[in-house]
Amino acid sequence: MRELLRILQPAKSQRIWMLGGILLGVAVISANTLLMALSGWFIASMAVAGAAKVSFNFFFASATIRALAILRTVGRYGERLVTHEAAFRILADLRVWLFKRLIPLAPAGLERYAGGDLAGRLRADLDSLESLYLRILAPLLTGLATIVLAALFASLWSRSAAAALLGLLMVSGLALPLWGLRMAREPGRQSAQTAGELRSQVTQGLQGAEELLLLGAAEQHANRVDQLSQRLVRQQVRLGSINSLTLSGVTLLTGLCLALLCLLLIPEVRQQQISGPQLVMLLLFSAACFEAVGPLALSLQLIPAAAESIRRIQELATAAPPLADPLEPQVATDRSIVLNQVSLAYATGTTALDRFSLEIAAGERVAVIGPSGSGKSSLIELLLRFRPYQGSVRIGGAELRELTPDQLSQLVAAVPQQPHLFNSSIRDNILLGREISAADLAAVLSDSGLDQWITNLPQGLDTQVGETGGGISGGEARRIALARALVSNTPILLLDEPTEGLDGATEQIVVERLSRRLQGTTLLVVTHRPACLALAERVVRIDVAQGGTV
Amino acid sequence: MISPEVWLRQQARSVTGKLTAAVGWSLTVGLLIIIQAWLLATVCQQVVLDGLGLAPVLPLLGWLTCVVLLRAVCVYLSEEAAINAAAQVKQQVRTQLYQRLLQLKPGGRAGETGPLTELVTTGVEGLEAYIARFLPQMVLAGLLPLVMLIVVLPSEWRSSLVLIFSAPFIPLLMVLVGKGTETLNRRQFGLLSRLGGHLLDLVQGLPDLKIFGAARREAGLVAVASEQYRNATMKVLRVAFLSAFTLEFFSTVGTAVIAVVIGFRLLAGDLSLLDGLFVLLLAPEFYLPLRNLGLSYHSRMNGIAAAERILPLVDECKKTCNAETQRYRDDLETDQKQTSTKLSFSVAPLLRVSEADHAPELICESVSFRYGGERGGVQDISLTITSGSMVALVGASGSGKSTLARLLLGLAQPASGRILVNGMDLRDSDQQQWRTTLAWVPQQPFFFTASIRDNLLLGCPSADQQAIRQALEQVGLQTVLQGLPDGLDTLLGDQGAGLSGGELRRLALARVLLRDARLVVLDEPTAGLDAANEQLVLESLGRLAAGRTLLIISHREQTISHCQQVIELAAGRLERICTPREFLGWQR
Repeated sequence: MRELLRILQPAKSQRIWMLGGILLGVAVISANTLLMALSGWFIASMAVAGAAKVSFNFFFASATIRALAILRTVGRYGERLVTHEAAFRILADLRVWLFKRLIPLAPAGLERYAGGDLAGRLRADLDSLESLYLRILAPLLTGLATIVLAALFASLWSRSAAAALLGLLMVSGLALPLWGLRMAREPGRQSAQTAGELRSQVTQGLQGAEELLLLGAAEQHANRVDQLSQRLVRQQVRLGSINSLTLSGVTLLTGLCLALLCLLLIPEVRQQQISGPQLVMLLLFSAACFEAVGPLALSLQLIPAAAESIRRIQELATAAPPLADPLEPQVATDRSIVLNQVSLAYATGTTALDRFSLEIAAGERVAVIGPSGSGKSSLIELLLRFRPYQGSVRIGGAELRELTPDQLSQLVAAVPQQPHLFNSSIRDNILLGREISAADLAAVLSDSGLDQWITNLPQGLDTQVGETGGGISGGEARRIALARALVSNTPILLLDEPTEGLDGATEQIVVERLSRRLQGTTLLVVTHRPACLALAERVVRIDVAQGGTV
Repeated sequence: MISPEVWLRQQARSVTGKLTAAVGWSLTVGLLIIIQAWLLATVCQQVVLDGLGLAPVLPLLGWLTCVVLLRAVCVYLSEEAAINAAAQVKQQVRTQLYQRLLQLKPGGRAGETGPLTELVTTGVEGLEAYIARFLPQMVLAGLLPLVMLIVVLPSEWRSSLVLIFSAPFIPLLMVLVGKGTETLNRRQFGLLSRLGGHLLDLVQGLPDLKIFGAARREAGLVAVASEQYRNATMKVLRVAFLSAFTLEFFSTVGTAVIAVVIGFRLLAGDLSLLDGLFVLLLAPEFYLPLRNLGLSYHSRMNGIAAAERILPLVDECKKTCNAETQRYRDDLETDQKQTSTKLSFSVAPLLRVSEADHAPELICESVSFRYGGERGGVQDISLTITSGSMVALVGASGSGKSTLARLLLGLAQPASGRILVNGMDLRDSDQQQWRTTLAWVPQQPFFFTASIRDNLLLGCPSADQQAIRQALEQVGLQTVLQGLPDGLDTLLGDQGAGLSGGELRRLALARVLLRDARLVVLDEPTAGLDAANEQLVLESLGRLAAGRTLLIISHREQTISHCQQVIELAAGRLERICTPREFLGWQR
């Protein structure tokens, strides 16, 4: 329960909406139970008066009945709107909060989550938090308030009836659902886990569908998904059965409560402690109360699944960043790069760099070559401050650890090994929200060899690149990433295979334009392509997992 | 195409028994409620008006307890039946949908993985409420109020009139409001999906955003997108809740009016408390099924919204499959008309294009293909790739190399022209059988989050240790993998995280080596490799070439020089076919 409330911390500015929804809920339930109570008392009194042939002041009662009826319906409409508004506001806050939490984690801190799993945490789990307030917290608090108010109301007429009502409402609204909750804990956890696995398998299967088909493994994979789905559905049926049992238990308790109240109250009527109409009133009131605590069971049952979703989200949000922001940032003074005895290891235990040293003077242009797996790309990720390292890395004289990400982005731009293209236009993908003049943009496009291709596109820069750049070729994506890096105009530029996927002629042009543009920029280019070496003044060779320079 | 709702009902037909049981038990519950109300009203009449004590009414209370017990049992049975019905439908739809999606993928659905995954997982869940809630409620809403009305009518005809007159408004208004909500709701479904996709896209691109210091600005955009979603959703809900409001208004006000009417009749002495209370207790029960139907109306819309997205996908494949069968039938008929000797082919449902032990010869005859958009595609390609040759496919990025490869693999169908494999049109061939003779290594080979071994065995689950070692040696990965702590059982992260780009490329090659295919298409097999590794891969490709036809898309000189023939494309057209020496000489 504490976990459930803790996740709402980032959305605490919405507490007015949350509280408003709950208060409206209590008002609606009160109106409804009082409506039934008053109706019962009213007709019983009229019957008694009719039988005794005496007059009865019915104006007040019949007017109140009508007023309560209207209050109930209008109030319910308002309650629904307010609780939903609150839920969406909470969700919006949580989305932003989670995204901000993920910023320092990427990319090293997110690698252990498979694509589908991460997607699930960001979609289904986050969306399921919509129900946290709407279907769990609000009904829970409203229901508890109802039980207390109902017992207080009944105690005005009969203590014993109030005690019986309180007891049975507690059993029906709390004990029984809590029993259901305990029963549902395990299947609930399992079903959330199965749902995550299913999502992960489906994502991977759809992304790799063509290869699966050609490898003849499509059917095998479909069977795997089918089995997962069957397991999920079985677990859902088990959860459903628990729900059915609780539901039938509530039905049983409602009926038994009516019988019990008759047993308790009929003698009191005989002893004239309460009147006949009051007996009818209390009976109808109790029946309405049970109806009101019904949603409690449902809300308690949703807790396990919500808790699992919250656990998965908290796991993401509370992970320690691979490299914490410095408390007292240093300031870079020039554009040199100095690596001294730097080691870098992945979480899996593989060593990417071992006591590697390299000095790049300000404005020097260096190419790094080496066999695949020798740590060339890791070197770039290291310099981007994506991974924790041992030894010393100084950029412009400042230790890399002691620079903030913001400082670094002013200092260094890069084309990483696998640049991500956002599902947006080419323009958005190049600019990433930065603003530059039209002339500068034209120069960037030309220098990254994009100009001709873009001119030939009917929608030019506004062409959409599709999900993860699926609508364009690999070479085009690479050049967009290059343009993105050039826009920054930073004193230091890191390029990981900037001409990968380009044909010889295009590559030639891009290399020529780049070397003209990058005069005075400190450049580190990782490549295995001979043409690209023309960008550099010096070539450094890395061998597998060590730092020998040539 | 049939309407989504008709399709949903077709799906529900397989669980008719379970749904009937659910309705049957609910009807029994309704009857027990009537008995319970009569018992309670009688107790009140006897105590309040007739002045009886506890002892005389004890038997009635005993009966009341029995009825309550029975009710609880029937509630349970009804719920169980409905849940099981929904479970069965969800399973059958998910299986059908996913299998169709895997088959459909070659039709070029790239870039839709997110929404499609959403559909297979949570989208299908949307059917549950339709089957388990809406369908039974719909029947009950027709039956239960009628039963209540018949029971109330003899006791209090005036109140029955109130019921009769207020009831028709409920479905009427519900339909009016519902219609408007439906369109809004449909838009909503797409919006939520886009919102989730937006966040995922941003998170996947976080490294890039961080490099350029744009991450915090995007956080602001997440807030804006969420706010837009909230506003749009609230707009839908304000209308959607109107229908619930209407229902509640009529039922609550109806009950209130009945209470007042009964009260006056009782005051006048025209009615017994038994009858009056009985009617008052049953009045909410009259409206309840209608209210439940109103509440499950949203279940219906969710179900239909999900069905609307599932149906076209399921249907699309049916159509293409049907078209294929139709074409085959047409061919058969013409065959029969023209010559009777060809009839021997018609025994097999589709034609076998190549034998497993024979490297295929491929001929393109003015093949053209365009993607949906304006970009890419190939035009009027005619060429021959001889059996057992090793051919390089070159051209500027975007010149149509990958498209041509996909056409040859049968992953896409030419819009015009035809592809002959060993003299037979690929379109008329048995795709399943054709695929068993193929291997393909795309530009970004796909790896699952599973062990390296599982990923290797994907195309050939039966390969033994010996074969695996041989394949790994051929691509020069044996030593690399031996260096890993868990060796072959090392788990690969998402999209192969854990191995370098070049290593993954070679792992994909090893996967193909294990699969004894006759036509191998490789898209940039040596990209990302240094000269030494490239040499290693080329050597194993040379070994692989024996008895196979190899088509290699590549930019790299060393790779091209290993081939016997070079096919050059430019802007989707065939530029020329020449020898590697001619090609490389011309390029210099």
